[in-house]
Amino acid sequence: MDSPASRNLEQWNRPPALPGSHYLDTRVYTDPAIFEEEMAKIFARIWLPVCHESELPDPYDFRTAGVAGRKPIVVVRGPDRKVRTFLNICPHRGNTIVRAPSGSLTRAEPSGNPKNMTCMFHGWQFDTLGRCVEIPREEQGYQGRVCKANVGLREIRTEVAHGGFVWVNLDDDCEPLEEFTAGAFGFMMTELDTEPLDIFHYQKAIIPTNYKLWHETSREFYHDYLHYHNRATGMLQKGYFDRKYTVFPNGHAATGLTIIAYDAYEGGKERLLTFPGLAKNGWKQLNIFPSCTYSLRTSCLRVSVMTPISERETLIEIRGLGMKRDTPEDRAERIADHDTIWGPFGRNLHEDLLAVRNQSVAMREGSGSRYLLMAREENETIHDEVGLRSYFQEWSRRLGRPANNPSP
Amino acid sequence: MTAAETQTRQLVEEVVYESCLALNAEDWGTFLGLCDKETFRYRIVNYSPEIRREQCWMERDWKGLKSLLDLLPRHNSDHSPLTRHATVYRVKVDGTVGEADATTLLTIYRTELDGGNSHFDSGQTSLFAVGKYEDRIRLSKEDGPRLMRRTVRLDTRQIGIGSHVPF
Repeated sequence: MDSPASRNLEQWNRPPALPGSHYLDTRVYTDPAIFEEEMAKIFARIWLPVCHESELPDPYDFRTAGVAGRKPIVVVRGPDRKVRTFLNICPHRGNTIVRAPSGSLTRAEPSGNPKNMTCMFHGWQFDTLGRCVEIPREEQGYQGRVCKANVGLREIRTEVAHGGFVWVNLDDDCEPLEEFTAGAFGFMMTELDTEPLDIFHYQKAIIPTNYKLWHETSREFYHDYLHYHNRATGMLQKGYFDRKYTVFPNGHAATGLTIIAYDAYEGGKERLLTFPGLAKNGWKQLNIFPSCTYSLRTSCLRVSVMTPISERETLIEIRGLGMKRDTPEDRAERIADHDTIWGPFGRNLHEDLLAVRNQSVAMREGSGSRYLLMAREENETIHDEVGLRSYFQEWSRRLGRPANNPSP
Repeated sequence: MTAAETQTRQLVEEVVYESCLALNAEDWGTFLGLCDKETFRYRIVNYSPEIRREQCWMERDWKGLKSLLDLLPRHNSDHSPLTRHATVYRVKVDGTVGEADATTLLTIYRTELDGGNSHFDSGQTSLFAVGKYEDRIRLSKEDGPRLMRRTVRLDTRQIGIGSHVPF
């Protein structure tokens, strides 16, 4: 204990000599009770993107997913082309109704008719509006005590917006999506909403980490040092550190446009394709509280969405998108650009996931971890940790206590 | 099967198995030496039932793959070794152009080293991915068979934190 650089246990457990907004208690990542509270006070009340409209392009197409940890949903496009979302639970005996990850209801199920969602267990059927349209031997069994009119599916608030993503909110009384995003998408509106987008990449992984840690890899850029690709193509380029961070209401945050020298990475090349309104080789990023990131790197849009499973387990879904009008050649180029950095074999994704997995190893409950810093101030430029602070400001507002002292 | 056909099949199997041994040993130079410098194209693909389309997760020519492998020491990676078990199931020789197509079923295991809690996990082996190699092979009498194309068609679509090295 002679070295002035090391600390004894009492010193290690002492809160940092910083404002409370500039550090946090690691229990926010490890405490199961805090996780349950987050599910109730955050995830059950906010808008979350669950898929892209190009995943269900035709009437009767569906996509299944889950939100807020454990709520199964089915997103379905009706014959009126409207996208609706329902809790994917049969009101009769609690079975999963639609089992496949995606598909078309135009095909008949072994125990049901085409164009309906059929619970295979007892053959109850629901149409794309969520109405119960078939109860086998209804009259014989229920004699009017239970009828189709009273056993429809639980519908979930749904909007399609911001580049054609399907957003849902479990709270029937929630504010409209536009109010929740609070102008943050104005930052990327031209690129996202000038013309239709189309998905070309989907991957998912269940990572043993807390969902916030993954989101934070998009919220702070100081970890540029983790990525050789970022060091070569970004940090060594003039003006990189001037890139501004913008904080929006409701915990959203964006990093401003920067120009990347993709050809500075050996084997890399300049990117020729862009999105409408985006500068050549430009890069913008938008983080939506609490678990979604839109990252637009010149030719491809990556949207990362997290579904928390427990305080130490997170489903991460990553989508890559281009323009619907892409020629096959354009599309191939966007895919190659995307996968170089963000695919499962890309240079950056593996590094980010490796980092957050190891954070969870080190911060496991009882490991001795205590506080994390988010104290960098650089005039709200790229290595300023204002993005983290704004996140936990919103987190504290919703949970009713500060992240640096999260005990109830 | 004639003796010549048997010999050709043996040559094809050898190049596939040698490529696995080289990749398992992370002997990138030997692996690249088994690939035709001018024509080699490496791809990792799969079909996603989630978005109902085929997707490509990696594509490189010989030069691009060499760059990627040369730069590995500059990247932070999970260094857990991968072990490829392969069985060549089908070989179809196109004698008119001196080339062959081989279909190989592939299983990849990962033995933990430093990707997570090394105190608990290092030394554990788990199944990482299954799929197949679809190889196009040039049958050269002068310098032996060479891989012209390799498509890794994965059945596994969840590969955790991913990988910096080709399968």
